[in-house]
Amino acid sequence: MRNSRYLLYILILIILVTLPLHTGVYLLNVMDVILIYLALALSWDMLLRSGQISFGMAGLFGVGGYAAALLHLNTGVNPLFSIILGGLAAGVLAWLVGMAVLQLRGMYFAIVTLALAEIFRVIVRNLPDLTGGPEGTILPSAIFAGNSTKTYWLVLTVAVVSVIASEIFRRTRIHFALTSIRNDEVVAKSSGIDVFKYLVFIFVITSAIQGIIGGAYAHIYGFVSPEGSFSIDFTLLPIAMALLGGMHSTWGPVVGAVLLGVASEFLKLYIPYGHLLVYGLIIVIAILFFPQGIVGTLGQRLKKPR
Amino acid sequence: MAVLKTENLARYFGGLAALNQVNVEFRENEILGIIGPNGAGKTTFINVIAGIYLPTEGKIFFNGQDISGLPAHRRCRLGIGRTFQLVRPLQGLSLLENVMVGSLFGKGLGQREARKKAKELCEFLGLSDITRDITEMTALEIKKMEIAHALATQPELLFLDEVMAGLNSDETMEMIDLVRKIHSRGITIGIVEHVMRVIRELTHRVIVLDWGEVIAEGPYGEVSNDPRVITAYLGEEA
Repeated sequence: MRNSRYLLYILILIILVTLPLHTGVYLLNVMDVILIYLALALSWDMLLRSGQISFGMAGLFGVGGYAAALLHLNTGVNPLFSIILGGLAAGVLAWLVGMAVLQLRGMYFAIVTLALAEIFRVIVRNLPDLTGGPEGTILPSAIFAGNSTKTYWLVLTVAVVSVIASEIFRRTRIHFALTSIRNDEVVAKSSGIDVFKYLVFIFVITSAIQGIIGGAYAHIYGFVSPEGSFSIDFTLLPIAMALLGGMHSTWGPVVGAVLLGVASEFLKLYIPYGHLLVYGLIIVIAILFFPQGIVGTLGQRLKKPR
Repeated sequence: MAVLKTENLARYFGGLAALNQVNVEFRENEILGIIGPNGAGKTTFINVIAGIYLPTEGKIFFNGQDISGLPAHRRCRLGIGRTFQLVRPLQGLSLLENVMVGSLFGKGLGQREARKKAKELCEFLGLSDITRDITEMTALEIKKMEIAHALATQPELLFLDEVMAGLNSDETMEMIDLVRKIHSRGITIGIVEHVMRVIRELTHRVIVLDWGEVIAEGPYGEVSNDPRVITAYLGEEA
């Protein structure tokens, strides 16, 4: 049973890795976008497992993007390495602000993270000498000179790393700590869990992942700008995906990202920009009729056949 | 030597003294009853000892170590365990996993040993079908699970906060036996209870709290005849 499951994972991975052999540039570009949102949705869910709702993803995504782009441009480090440095920058920043912000809970935390993302954007916008100001900065070339196969492999790597990180967090003591904290902090503390330490840890890790994704995104498009790199889309769409697919799991956000990602590609063809409206509708329906998401609802049905 | 000792312990909420000048001692492997009318400060006392609230004044010594300023998770790791007056099971975790939280973090066991320890405790408390979802459990089972969870942190001193509340008399008898079994493992127990039969049968000594102060202390037989205690429970004679 277990072996056949791993076999399935390996099969899916082989199909994904060899995808560029069978398809064209258009599909690869669509896959890039889906995988980027998939990784963001996962990172959001990983923090949510501690009960903390973040609306600050775009902020850390943008910081990672700017850090990667500017480090590459100004110091000449390898783009791939600069992407990792982007993640590092987002992680360090999250650690610094997390020490204060993680004193807050629930909606207070959510609102402050939303504000933080906006603050980062405003700061970046107002440092023209360093960041290029409102116009942003264009890199001399996109990563891998725009080679779509290699770009796809880069994004796939980021997504797979996120999936692996999420699964590790689901299977180790971290899972027990975060689930306890989400349920009841007093019970968690009384069980010997250092609540604050775990919250800082998970916030730093998920922020670093968001920074890496932002770094990859910046290098793929060869461009960073305050409005583009800190777009609220990078906060709202991943949340919608995780909600639709199902929270507190690895496969929920994955399924949600694939479904909404594909759906939005189709919708874009028929109703330009209207796809956001349809997105909203899907989310409302999902929350009203299956609040545990697709994966959560299916899982329950399978457990208790009625 | 006393396992736990408090010195002039006080806790205020605003101007209200929920605990005031509390000097008590838990002797090794005794069962100490903590009784008093509603709002007397019994649960606050547990919360201050367990570190959920820090004391406003006074000191707490655990095995001679001053723990007054330590956060709750550190106190748990030192060996102070507790259950909750209103059950607080962890949703999204199975019965066994709920208990495992205690064994994983109380003494920092690895997952394999933590699972083994949790299984052993479920068996000890008579909990079967341990992979069950907690939504399928009865009230008594949830209470037992919470005791298992607290025991899994491997406490030296365990507080049981009204574990008999809501149980019928057969279940109460079963729970009394369980507390005896836990005690025979060498654990010192502090028990808050409204059911006086339980206190009479189980405790070596009791302390009586009223308006946050200790008004009587001693074996149940003595304390229950103390006029101040009777007044606290029943009020003055008109």
